[in-house]
Formats: sequence, C-alpha cells, structure tokens
Amino acid sequence: MKLSFLFTLALSAIVLVSCNKSGNSESEKKDGSKKLVIGSTMLSMQNEFVVNVSDEMEAKAKELGVELITVDAERSALKQVEQVQSFIAQGVDAIVMNPCEVEASSPAVKLALEAKIPIINVNSETTAKPTSFVGSDDVESARIAMNYIVKKLGGKGNVIMMNGYMGQAAQIKRDKGAKEILQANPGLKLLAEQSGEWDRAKAMSLTENWIQSYGTTINAIFAQNDEMGLGVVKALEAAGLKNKIVVVSIDAIPDALQAVKKGTLDATVYQNAKQQGSKAIENAVKAARGEAFDKEVLIPFQLVTKDNLNEFLK
Amino acid sequence: MTHPILQIKNLTKSYSGIKALDVVQLTLQKGEVHALMGENGAGKSTFMKILIGLLSPDSGEIIFDGDLLKSKTVSEISKMGISMIHQEILIIPELTVAQNIFLGREKEVFQNKTGWLNDKNIALKAADLLTQLGIEIDPKVKMKYLSVAQMQMVEIAKAVSNNAQVIIMDEPTSAISDKEVSTLFKIIRELKNKGVAIIYISHKMDEIFEICDTITVLRDGKYIATKSASELDKNSLIAMMVGREINNMFPGPLIQKGDVALSIKNLGKKGKFSAISFDVHAGEIFGISGLMGAGRTEIAEAIYGLSKADSGVIKINGEEVDITSPQDAVTKGIGYVSEDRKKLGFIPQLSVVQNLTLSSLSEHCRGIFIDNQKEITAADQMINELKIKASSRNQKVTHLSGGNQQKVVIGKVLAASPKIIILDEPTRGVDVGAKFEIYKLINNLAAEGISIIMISSELPEILGMSDRILVLSKGIQKAILSREEATAESIMSYAVH
Amino acid sequence: MENSFTSRFRNIGQYGIFLAFVMICLVLALSTPRFFTVSNLMNIGTQVSINALLAFGVTFVIITGGIDLSLGSMVAVTGVLAATFAHPDTYPLIVPVFIGLGGGLAIGAFNGLVITKSKVPPFIVTLGTMTIGRGLALILSKGRPISNLSDSFNFIGGSNLFGIPFPIIILVFAFVICSVILNKTILGRYMYAVGGNEPAARASGIHVNRVKMWVYTICGLLSAVGGILLTSRITTGQPNAGAGFELDAIAAAIIGGTSTSGGTGTMTGTLIGALLIGVISNSLDLLNVTSYYQQVVMGAIIIGAVVLDSMGKNKN
Repeated sequence: MKLSFLFTLALSAIVLVSCNKSGNSESEKKDGSKKLVIGSTMLSMQNEFVVNVSDEMEAKAKELGVELITVDAERSALKQVEQVQSFIAQGVDAIVMNPCEVEASSPAVKLALEAKIPIINVNSETTAKPTSFVGSDDVESARIAMNYIVKKLGGKGNVIMMNGYMGQAAQIKRDKGAKEILQANPGLKLLAEQSGEWDRAKAMSLTENWIQSYGTTINAIFAQNDEMGLGVVKALEAAGLKNKIVVVSIDAIPDALQAVKKGTLDATVYQNAKQQGSKAIENAVKAARGEAFDKEVLIPFQLVTKDNLNEFLK
Repeated sequence: MTHPILQIKNLTKSYSGIKALDVVQLTLQKGEVHALMGENGAGKSTFMKILIGLLSPDSGEIIFDGDLLKSKTVSEISKMGISMIHQEILIIPELTVAQNIFLGREKEVFQNKTGWLNDKNIALKAADLLTQLGIEIDPKVKMKYLSVAQMQMVEIAKAVSNNAQVIIMDEPTSAISDKEVSTLFKIIRELKNKGVAIIYISHKMDEIFEICDTITVLRDGKYIATKSASELDKNSLIAMMVGREINNMFPGPLIQKGDVALSIKNLGKKGKFSAISFDVHAGEIFGISGLMGAGRTEIAEAIYGLSKADSGVIKINGEEVDITSPQDAVTKGIGYVSEDRKKLGFIPQLSVVQNLTLSSLSEHCRGIFIDNQKEITAADQMINELKIKASSRNQKVTHLSGGNQQKVVIGKVLAASPKIIILDEPTRGVDVGAKFEIYKLINNLAAEGISIIMISSELPEILGMSDRILVLSKGIQKAILSREEATAESIMSYAVH
Repeated sequence: MENSFTSRFRNIGQYGIFLAFVMICLVLALSTPRFFTVSNLMNIGTQVSINALLAFGVTFVIITGGIDLSLGSMVAVTGVLAATFAHPDTYPLIVPVFIGLGGGLAIGAFNGLVITKSKVPPFIVTLGTMTIGRGLALILSKGRPISNLSDSFNFIGGSNLFGIPFPIIILVFAFVICSVILNKTILGRYMYAVGGNEPAARASGIHVNRVKMWVYTICGLLSAVGGILLTSRITTGQPNAGAGFELDAIAAAIIGGTSTSGGTGTMTGTLIGALLIGVISNSLDLLNVTSYYQQVVMGAIIIGAVVLDSMGKNKN
C-alpha cells in the first residue's frame, strides 16, 4: 500500500520533470503578440544526422523567436502520424516532418493540409505533396559518390556496393543513383552487393567476409552511409588492403571527416544538415505568417575529399 | 429386489508386482448410498480410478446397468452415467454457474447446430435444475465467487444434468463447514429419492453412519466385507479397517533414550495448527499421526523453515533457535524428507551422485571447486549403505524406481549429518522390500542417537516404529500416546474426533 | 558397462547439434573453397566472439530457469561507458575497461536483486531493464556515437596475438572459465539444481536467491566484456549498438541444447550454437546470397538444427 503510493508519487515526479524539459507550453512574447508554435516530428533521435538537423532547427527557431516542439517518431510511421494528429489538436501554426517512410507517413501530410496547417517535409519525401519540401535528392548523392569512383579507377575495375536497410527510401534512391552511373560506365563491374543495415559492426563483418571471397580483385567499395563506410575501412585496414581499395560513402558525419583527414576514407558526400534544418524552419515560419516561400528547396550535395576538407571541419 | 445398477466382480490391479487391488467386489443398488472405507493405501483411489476409466484393471469385470464396461474412456463412461465429484473441483472460475454446468455439452443439451450460444436459455435451464435439487445458488453468478461447498453442489448438479446414475463422492466434506455438510446431505437424500446411487468415500465416521446405507471395507487392496450400516458401530468398523496383525515387519524397538534434543512449545500457524507442544529425545522415534489435512506436514515444514509459524518456541538442545529458512535448519542439524519427493525431494535432471551430495556439497570441496573424487567416495558410501539400486552412479534420478528415489532423498539428508531428522511419509509409494530397508535404516539412525520425527498415514507403520505418537485432529494436538497406550483403535478414535 | 567416452558424450547432450554443425561445415567447405581457410576461420571466430560471450552469460541464466532480455542494452551501456573514458591521453586503459565491466556488473546485479526480491518473472524484469538500459546509453552519449578513442583501447578488439585475433583469445578464455564455473564449482552445481527443481533445491538447503544473484551478475559482466569488445572493434561507443543481440545469444544457447525450462545445458553446446550461427552468416556472405534470402535461410537452418537435435534426443 505504502509502497505503491510512493511509486505513484515517484512516477508522477518523473513525468513532470521530463515534461518540463521538453518545451514550455504556450508562452507569450514580450511585446504581447502571440508567439508562433511549430511542431516537428523527427525520424529517429538515435540517428546522428537527424539529431544534427534537429539541432539546427532548434537554433533557427530561437533566432526567429518561435517556439519549437520536437518529438521523436522512433522510426515508426504510425507513431509519426499520431504525433502530427496531436500537433493538429494542439493547434500549432506549422508542422515540420522528417518522414519515416515514403508511403506510410503520407497520411500525416494529408491530415495537416486538411486542417489547413502548413506542413514542411525535411530531408526525405512522402508520396503526398506537402506545403513545402526541404532536402536533398538522395539519387544525386549516389551519383556523386559513384562518379568519384569512376574517376579514381579511370573507368575500369571491380566495385562492391554496401546497401543500407533494404527497402528504405534512402537505400532505394542511393541504389538507383549508383546503378545509373554503373550503367553509363561498362568498364566497371559490380562484383557483389549486400546489406550492411546502416550499421558499423555489421559492415565490418560483411567486409571481412568479402575479403575472403574476392581479396585483392576488389578495386573500390561504395557504402551507402558513413557508418558502414567506416566499418569497411576498419576491416580493410586490419587486412592490410586499405591502400589498394578506394572507399566512398555518404553523409559526412564528423567521424567520417576525421577518416578523410587521416586518408583512410577516400571520400564522403556532404549532406548539409545545417541548411536543411534552418531552411525548413524558415519555410515553416513564412508559411505560417502567409509570406511567400519556395515550394521545393533542394540543397546540393558536395563531395568531400582531402582537398576541400577544411571547409567542412568545424 | 431389483437388479443392481452397478456390479463389480473380482477386480484386480497391480503396479510392478505389488497388488493395489486384489479380487475386490462391490454391488450397488439404485438409490443406495454406499460407503467405501479403508485406511490410506487400502486401494480406494485405485478402485475409483478404474471405475471412472482412468486406469484399466488387470482382471475382473464391471457391469453397469446390465452392460459390461470394457476399455471405455473417461468421457464415454461419464456419458453413460457414472460421474465423480473430485476432491479438487474442476471448474472454470471466470464462467458462470450455468455455463459451467453445461460446459462442453452445449450442442447436445440445447440442440443447437449453429454454434451460437443463448446464455439466457442456459441460465433458465440451470435454474430449473438447481431448484429441482434444492440448491440455492444464482446460476448467473461467476464460479469464482462461490464457496468450496457451493462449487461442490454445482458439480453435483452438473453430474445430475448429465443423467448420472452413479455419483462417486471422494471426501466431499473435507473442506466445508458443518452447516454446509447438512445442506450437502439434504441434496444427497434428494438424489437418493430420484434413484441415483452414490459411492461415498470419507474418513469421518459420524457422517458415514448418518448418511450411508451400506459399508464396504477394503484393506491392503483386499475386499474385507460389505455390511449394512445398521449392523455396525464405530468400533467394529475401525476393527474391520485396521484389523490385520501388526507383525514383525518392524525391526526391534528403542533401547534407550537420551536427553531432549528438540523441544517444541505452543507452535501455532493460523488456519493450519495451534498449540503444538512436544519434546523429542536423542535416539527417540517420535511419530505424528492424524488424518490427511490434520496439519502434520505443516508442522514439519514450520520446524524445517519451509514456512514460518506464527507463534511458539523451538529449542534445540535446550537453546532457543529461530529457523527462517531450510538453510538455517540444515546448519542447525535438522534434516527433512518431504512427503512429496517429486516436488521437494530431488532434482530430476541431476545424477544419483549429484543429488546425494546436494545438501552437503561444501564438504566435498576445495575452495569453491568441487573435489570429484571426494564427492564420488561420499556418494558411493551412501549408495552402499542405503542399497540404492541404479544402473550407474551417474544415472539421472528421474529414471529410478520410487523406492530408490526415496532412498536417494534420504541419503541426501543423511549426508549433511543431521542430529534431528523429520521423515514425512517416508514409505509412500515404496514397495515392500524397500519399505523394510527404510525401517531398518530409521532404527539404526535412532540407535546412533539421532532424533527422528516420523509422520505417517499408515497406522501399522507408525505403531510399529514409534516410541511415542502424537495424534492430531484438525490442527489440534489430541494426545501423545506411549508405545503401551498406542493401538490402532486409540489412534483412530483420537484422530476422527 | 557403457564406454566412458560415449557416455560422457551423451551427457553433453548436443550430439545432434554437433553433427549438424559438422555437416553444415562440410557442405560449405565443398561449395566454396574460401570457407575452409585459416584466415576465414579466424574471421569467423572474431565475428562470433561477441555473440558467444553473451550466449555464455545467458546460458547460466537459462539453466537456472530464468531469461535475460537486457543483454543487448547492457552491451550498449557498457560500450558507451567505456568509450566515455577511452579518449586518447586521458586515462590509462585500465580505467575504461573497469568502468565498462563495473557498469555491466551493476546492471546484472540490479536484475538479480529485483528478480529475487520482487518475485516478478525474469522475463518482465529484464524487459524493463532492456528499455532502461537503452535509455541510459542514449542519455550517457547524448544520442551520438562517441568516437576518437585511444589506440590502446582500440587494440583490444582490433589486434592479434601470435597471429590470433584478440577477440578469439578472449572468447577461448571466457569459454574455459564459464565451463569451469558450470562443471567444477558449487555455484555451477547449484545452478542446475535451482533450474531443475527450485522448491527441492530450496528444501535441500540451497540459498536459491544467492544463486540467482550470481547468475544475473555474471551475465551482466559477460555482456560488459562483449560491449567493450564491440566498442573497441568498431572504434566508437554507439548508443544503439547491440539491438537484438539478446535474441542471437538466446538462440545460440537453445540451439546448443540448453532447455528453456531450466536444469539442462552446457557451455560446449552453447559455443557450438554460436559458431553455427556465425558460420551460416559468414558463408551466406561468401556465397553472395542476397540479404532477403539470407534471413530466410538463417531461420530455416536454426529450426532445422534444433529439430535434428530433438530427434536425436528422443532416440536416446
């Protein structure tokens, strides 16, 4: 009896504290005009790139003096739709969504538009057209990476591709871009492709197994994200093959930039989290205030190699 | 005289050479309440199991309503009209009384082919049935809200709705109050009027003489006699039940007594037993007797620390001790051989050696490591001493016979060199040969100065072995009888009152 | 009289699974020449090491009749903990290692304490710890991987000793210790007793709760070794590392003949179970089987191996 009372007390205390941390409700601006409230739902706050985008959104919101409520969809499209519903119920002025899935997150867009609340998709797309899209074209990132391999190998050699989690938008698009370039360059042969599930440890094991299979016949490896790219590099280093094989990946996370600096990773492709985050908030604010904004903002990718590394290191 | 509803002739059943039933017979008339009497182990439960189809007999025949019953399943027999009201009642607590009564027979009873259920119909039909039997229970109440006695009545109603011609009641009054007993008897008389025959199993003499017409007595699996209740009285019935001579199955009695080793004062546990006080001397064999459910095992478990007594003092060698767990008991020199060796006795997946050393493992170790050689030596010694028969010392205990399993459990307790040993039904499910060996062992232990508390339902055993006998009835200490005072009759008369 | 070798072999209880393992290895060796090479075998050993460590831990737990679902989360927490103290030129190597191990010990002991004191089933308790652990890992790392670890720390998972990868050496070492605990100590015997028949074990004077405390604590410690090894191998402390590891570990133990109802199981069986899983995933990569099919094949082989094993047991 006593124990269960204490437990309830402790539980409510925890809930109160955590609520306080995640944003104060309804605050009035000093000059009396009502402060804009933007709700954002992010793919997964366990993903470093998403966290970076989210941080930029936070910074931009502060700069523009709007309130930002951020929630984590934990990779569940269902949860994301529910979160958008609750944003609508709370009557936010605009919504920023970092979609979990192309199809399954679409209902959220429709719901928001029906409720006449502008919704901005950031980083990836949904089938339903949102108020505005801010992001980069994943197909392009793979083209850039593959083209770098073409250049490095002089258009001839054996390539291996490591896929992300099969069936996800980023994997499908990066696969598409890479295959386009491979088709345009018949001198390149795709030895094997396999999924490393975006995971460093998995990528490492997979590469170790590839080394057993193909050994020095491999000329280049394209990993669809940096986490996997770094796993590939670790495995190649351990086998003493790093100098013989070109490795390229995508995202330009800090670890990958360090690896480029050390020369272990040959190149990565920079996806501009900063610009995606700030542009998304800018558009959301403009849409909420009824000002003019761009329907689609494509932030270009950039190839990062040792030569231009300094622009990206903070 | 009309032809009997049930006739059983020359029923015989043996388990691995031991005869559980030896040429047993019984004749049951319509509307008769027939008591089946006998000590524990007399063969009553084997008899009933054969009758309801759980076991098949080695030989003999059962004639029900003129038909020979042969290799029928339990459900076939119940459909024919023989039902049993079990000691543990089988019900679904979340269903209503009415739903329970017709459970599994909805299609036949309500002639419903679609599979849809009409709860209203079921409740109406149940209400009808209950009033007919004079049972005052709302058929729409969920089973879980009923008392044990009420559940029993529902079971009876269920049997009647199933057109039972013969209803077997196994200790129906063991868990219900006196007032409820009289309601139950009213219902039994109602059934009698309808021509239903009842086989009534109970230890309670008063009830037998109140409700039964005829009494059949079994002893050691043998048919003794069938008599009309009016021909008998309590004493003559007890004599029939225990009647055999207690022969020299029991090797020599106690030679001398030592000091008081264990002293129990006013031990009590709510709802189980109260005000239990006795002393056990070194080298003494102290028997505890009483009917099932009298609180014998509960007292043993309280002394051994398996469950805690609410009140009372336990002294070992004159010193007051607080035993809160079996570990405590073992370190204080108490050993316990449970009546339920499958549950509390041995570890089925471990070998004979590993079970034997389980309570004394730290003595066969160097540091934290088990010294295999030492362990095997100790275990081999125990295997020889107790004459444990196993294909090898590494055989898993689960594959041994009941008697050898019991010896392993006793060996495990002895290996920890206890000063006081509690043996709860030490020979249950053990064949005659092993029984004798266990008796000899108990006497040897006592001769070595070890105090023994022996709980047993078998009167000859407890009479033959014990120096003194404590008799319990419903958790209350009725008497402590000396060897001279103790007879089957005196124990029974204390135990049933 | 039974030959002591065969009787011992039967007692080990993984007769069937051992055969299945040998058969699968033979098939693989015939289908790809790259399978049976020293370097690939070292490769498999390294890849198997972490799962095997966790499987050893969970074998103890399952033998006592329990289960531990928090293994994967413990890997993440201990990995992140160790990584936090493993930046170059901060602390000597011993510090991150001991802090990581301490973390595993603490969470394992917490599991044991709650299970023994509350009598809540281990499945529920460790399900809770699994979530708490994941949350702790994210809090400690602020949701980001912790990189830039010292060379000495990365040495643990990435180096060789006399040509043998360090993770394999740790694996062998852990295997020997775990086998000794299970077969040669009082604690090991008591584990079997508790899992085989808990009431009887208690009635025999065994301190059942103490045995359970030990078991969950050891499991936490082994998860920590796994966590440190993983962190060192991928040279980052990842808060989302180890997700799903508990299922692989439990699978290895069960494939190896540990009964989920408690009371039976061996370390040798678990090791073979872990190797079987490792060999299959390695060879599917070698044969370049698409990842869609890999999952189907893996599941089928796991079921097949266990069916074969239970058929062998029934024959006995």
